[in-house]
Amino acid sequence: MENFVNALISGLISGSLYAAMALGLTIIYGVSRVFNFGHGVIAVIGAYLTWYLLSALGVPFLLATLLSMAFMAIFGFVLYRLTINPLLKKPNWEFSTVLFMLGAGILLENVVLQVFGPRVKSIPLLVEGMLKVGFLQINWHELLLIAIVVIAITALSLFFKYSRTGQAMRAVAQSIPGAQVVGIHIEQIFGMTFALAFVVTGFSGILLGTKYYLNPHIGWEWMVKGFVIVTFGGLGSTSGAVVAALILGLVEAIATLYLGAIWVWPIWFVLFLVVLLLRPQGILGGRM
Amino acid sequence: MLTVKDLVCYYGDLQVLRQVSLHVEEGEVVALFGPNGHGKSTLLKAICGLQPPRAGSIQFRGAEIAGLPAHQIVERGLAYIPEERHLFADMTVLENLYLGAYPRHARAAVKKNLEFVFHIFPRLAERRNQLCSTLSGGEARMVAIGRGLMSETSLLMVDEPSIGLSPGMKMAVFDAIRQIHQERGMTILIVEQEIQHALEMSDRIYLMKKGQIAFERKGKEIQVEEIEKAYF
Amino acid sequence: MKNLNWKSLLSIVVIAFILLYPWLGASSYNKHLFILFFIWSIVAANWNLMMGYAGINSLGNIGFMAIGGYTAGILAKSFGVPAFLTVPLAGLVTSVIVTVALGLPALRLSGIYIALLTLIFADSLPSVLTQTRDITGGAMGLHEIPPFYPGMDKTGAYYICFVFFLIVLWIIYRVIHSSTGMAFIALRDSENFAYCLGVNKFKERLKVFALSSLLTGAAGAVYVHALGDISPTTLGIEPFLLTIAMIELGGVGTFLGPILGAFVIVFGNEFLRLAGTLRLTLLGALICTIILFYPGGVIQFITALEHRVEALLKRKTSPAA
Repeated sequence: MENFVNALISGLISGSLYAAMALGLTIIYGVSRVFNFGHGVIAVIGAYLTWYLLSALGVPFLLATLLSMAFMAIFGFVLYRLTINPLLKKPNWEFSTVLFMLGAGILLENVVLQVFGPRVKSIPLLVEGMLKVGFLQINWHELLLIAIVVIAITALSLFFKYSRTGQAMRAVAQSIPGAQVVGIHIEQIFGMTFALAFVVTGFSGILLGTKYYLNPHIGWEWMVKGFVIVTFGGLGSTSGAVVAALILGLVEAIATLYLGAIWVWPIWFVLFLVVLLLRPQGILGGRM
Repeated sequence: MLTVKDLVCYYGDLQVLRQVSLHVEEGEVVALFGPNGHGKSTLLKAICGLQPPRAGSIQFRGAEIAGLPAHQIVERGLAYIPEERHLFADMTVLENLYLGAYPRHARAAVKKNLEFVFHIFPRLAERRNQLCSTLSGGEARMVAIGRGLMSETSLLMVDEPSIGLSPGMKMAVFDAIRQIHQERGMTILIVEQEIQHALEMSDRIYLMKKGQIAFERKGKEIQVEEIEKAYF
Repeated sequence: MKNLNWKSLLSIVVIAFILLYPWLGASSYNKHLFILFFIWSIVAANWNLMMGYAGINSLGNIGFMAIGGYTAGILAKSFGVPAFLTVPLAGLVTSVIVTVALGLPALRLSGIYIALLTLIFADSLPSVLTQTRDITGGAMGLHEIPPFYPGMDKTGAYYICFVFFLIVLWIIYRVIHSSTGMAFIALRDSENFAYCLGVNKFKERLKVFALSSLLTGAAGAVYVHALGDISPTTLGIEPFLLTIAMIELGGVGTFLGPILGAFVIVFGNEFLRLAGTLRLTLLGALICTIILFYPGGVIQFITALEHRVEALLKRKTSPAA
């Protein structure tokens, strides 16, 4: 019982981190239909940048986060303008963007490796200490992580619901010709979507970096988990991704408890297959 | 207000428009007739920037707009209501209408335009919080027209507004378009297969065939039968 | 006609050179590189058959090769099956496993799901290998896999791989020019038109998937018999990247492209070794550059050059005629 409840809690924590990580993937796909096969390394870059600002330059946490996010936004926008935008005009854009982002992901991963070296890094905890209620044991830090994710997702959904740019992003996601007809500049919205998604992804990298050790290659593992999550939740659906991430986080924790960590990957793969075969549109299947 | 001259359009290697010329004056209702697949929709798409023309000129309120991207043309006050509607299916009626006012110049007039849309389509006021994917064909058509009106437009191009609607719904849509013209003084370019209804409200008509303008007439000077005959 | 002669002449010269090369004082190292070239161009050509012709956006072909390689290695080492049997058997096993477990579900889905599913499939193979350490050797891999025949030297392996290379390329050439190949070109150019002709996309794709995985699995088997070992590093990011680079560099959707690409990459990779740890960075940059700026690959350059030469010849000969 004790173990089970603790597993649930740890599943909830990793689930919310996965949700934050998968959101960027589903946002880009939802709006532009580009599937970012370099997604993982984007999260890694956000995390390393923040680590560098914090540990090497001694910048305070909040400022370091803000600076990294500003960088991610510019990075996403520029990457879109210089590379994805011209590729989208070619006939086989769907797969050439996949291959391009794969190549770019490996390129960036190795740039991170060259710059920061292969040794693992970790972003220091935000708060120390542990909350104990009966047999329950939770780090204050992990509780804070959940709160941050909840706040971030709420902010994001408010942005999509009420801001002009957010509404335009949803409009483009649902109908590109419709968006053109009402005067939305599609390429500009694509660019802003990449900027936004890179910010969200970089931010998730920071959160992940406070819980797990960072190395330049960890992004691929995160990305493959992200793939399963967004497929599970329905490609392009933000709410689906959040629900799927929580479910998979819990499944992972329970599987680790009863079967052992070695079974986590096969279970992710089987879940992925089952969803693809039975409900390729995902569990919720809605659009943004 | 709108002058199209020698417009040429291709889909890949297929020439769809062969030097089309037409004009629409301020305050007019102009109907564009012709058999299906002879370039009427392509012409409207070329004018509003969805299908870039290969040659020719499009002048709108004195400025050349041929080849401009769609969003810049909408910002100049030209609205296109596509036959396929292209609504934002997972958004509410109200969200769709608000997005119609996306261009900067339209935002100041949101309140006025929304009132007008609800005035001509009272049904939309009732369903304002309903998702567009749950609307009937006629209601979705109303949202499409309403969304076009929200962009504070001076020229409204409507592509087959009555297609696929029940007879009663067709009447409602034509009444609304007449109302838009009479109460707003809106200039309208309409493509339609319901010749009778469209002819009744038109000042002038064009007949398009094989990617060219076959003839142009005053609305009062031509009978439905003559237009129908020209189809074959 | 003149053009055809020029091309077949060049192919004959190239084939003759490859046949004679071991007698022209090729070093053992160069023979080794050629063996790699033969095998990797088969892997690349089959991958290209899937993604360049059939529009199957697979990212798992290195996994197919590994399945074939391990199957042949286990058959030969643990069961003493002779090499002339392990190669077709490995191809068959690969094809059956991959087509049933991956092709049937994936090909019913649209483009991006195929990429996802095949990538995750290939990604989960290393953990399968660690789970089955007893027969696959786990992280250590399989070593001292019996060669094609006892006492085989580099020259023997060279010729066997070359024959295999010719056979597979001939099959691929025939597929591209068969009704299936034509169906794909129709599908690529106009999906609706192809449906009118009665092309069943799923069935045609499944056929290519089965054949491609069979040949790729067989290539994996030839690889282990020629080189003697296989380990999970085959499934790593580098072979994957190298093969993608071969296809993209040579020219996606062309017959000769992947072969040219394999040649450049196999021999070029030796120079890349000088770059040390920067190698993967350069490879990633290479792939990005090609996709962005030269989507047609080397083949496009050659075709453009050929047209220019032709035009030049015409200008010179026409006043005389």
